[in-house]
Order: sequence, then structure tokens, then C-alpha cells
Amino acid sequence: MQAEARKDEDEQARFEAEALPLLPGMYSAAYRLTRNAADAEDLVQETFLRAYRGFHQFEPGTNLKAWLYRILMNTFINSYRKKQREPQTVSDDEIEEWYLYSKMGEHGIEPSAEAAVIESLPDEDVQSALSSLPEQFRIAVLLADVEGFSYKEIAEITDVPIGTVMSRLHRGRKALEKRLWDVVRERGLVRD
Amino acid sequence: MSEIDCDDVLREIELYIDGELGQERSRLLAAHLSTCSPCGYRAEFQARLREIVRAKCHSDTPQTLMWRIREAIRSESTPKEE
Repeated sequence: MQAEARKDEDEQARFEAEALPLLPGMYSAAYRLTRNAADAEDLVQETFLRAYRGFHQFEPGTNLKAWLYRILMNTFINSYRKKQREPQTVSDDEIEEWYLYSKMGEHGIEPSAEAAVIESLPDEDVQSALSSLPEQFRIAVLLADVEGFSYKEIAEITDVPIGTVMSRLHRGRKALEKRLWDVVRERGLVRD
Repeated sequence: MSEIDCDDVLREIELYIDGELGQERSRLLAAHLSTCSPCGYRAEFQARLREIVRAKCHSDTPQTLMWRIREAIRSESTPKEE
């Protein structure tokens, strides 16, 4: 049984060296998904445990980060997602236009100043705006814009066709812009 | 004569910023953006917005979490006492 123990030790060392450094990004993503710190910690811990138990199935040299995020998403969907009903789509009036850009233009804000207005928002406001998106859209925007995954990787992580990824991203980003614009207005950063 | 117009840009700007547009199409789009200031501004704003969302959506990992996870993994590996 000594060879078996040796193999376990190697696998554990490899997992700790390769997977654990991805913890910070995974925690941020988990926080956006669960919307609270305690659930985010539990979700990430469960994800890493499941990943560790299944690590022998991971093919070395392939995309470990995408593999881990896939487990994160599955764990979230199966165990942590809020059971209460929430809207699963974004309404058409939210996606009519690229909201911030056109709305700020109407208020006489110069293009260069527009980004600065959003940048001046507290981090929490931007995080809540993202967290308020319906799940599918939140996940697509999170994986693309925060985690930097490609369309193909997002399709694999979320198990949907690339066309669906593109449509969710498109709608999700527009809805995010609208919600950011609402916050900008509520905070009085532009005059109505 | 341009092979790409503002409507094409509106449709493809996301793909372009995401680096998901083919090389040839990206080149055409980039050329349009450099000469059409409304499209150029829009592209710049979209790209900037993504950077801001990325920067602002980071949450610091609690210091104890790495330790907790490492402990959990190691206790999984520990051979059971018979």
C-alpha cells in the first residue's frame, strides 16, 4: 500500500500547488454568486473538496481554472442558489440601448468623463448591480468580464452553446449598464 | 471606400472588445474606430467599463479560508486509523 500512499501524497501536493493559488478569484466569484461572505466561504470550500476528490479525473495540461469554475458553478446551482423565485431573464426595456453611454451623453457628460463617473461609485454599488442580475446573466458577465474567460471556456463551464453565451453576455451587459445608470442617478452624480 | 459601417460596428463591438472577432474583421473594425469618433468613443467607453467592473468586483479572500481548505484537503488524505 506504500505506492498508493505515495501517489496520494503527490496528488495532494500537486493539487495544493496548482489549484489553491486560484482561491482568490474563486472566492470573489463565489461572493458575487451567493451575495454573502459566509455562503461564499462554504461554497468555495465545498468546491475545492469536490475538485480534490475528482482531481484524478482532471487531465493534466488542460485548463485547470475552467475545470475548477465548472465545479464551482455546479456546486452553486445544486446547493447554494437561492431557492426563492427570482426573474430568470432581463426585460427588453433594459436592453434597448447601451444605457450608460447614451444616457450620459444626453446629460452633456463627455465620453472621457463617463467612465470616471462609474469609477467614482463605491465598489459595493458596482458589486450589487452585478449581483442583482438574473443568475444566467450574472454568471456570464462574471465569467467574461471579471474572470476573463473566453466564450468557448464559458460555454464549457456553463454547459451551453457558444451562441447562448453570447446572447446572455449581450443582454447581461446591457442590463448591468442600466442598473449602473440607475445608481449613478440615485447618487445624484447626474442631474435628472 | 469602407467595408464596414457604424451598424456593423454596433453589432460587432462586443466581440471585438472580447477578442472574439476574426483577425481580418478586427483589423477592419479597428480602422473604422480610429476614423469614426462616435464609434471610437463608444468602444473606448465599453472597454473602460469592463475594466472598472473587473477592478471593483474583487472581494478580498478571508485569511482563514486558505487555511481551512488546506486542512480539509489534508484530512481527506489522512489514512483512516484501523
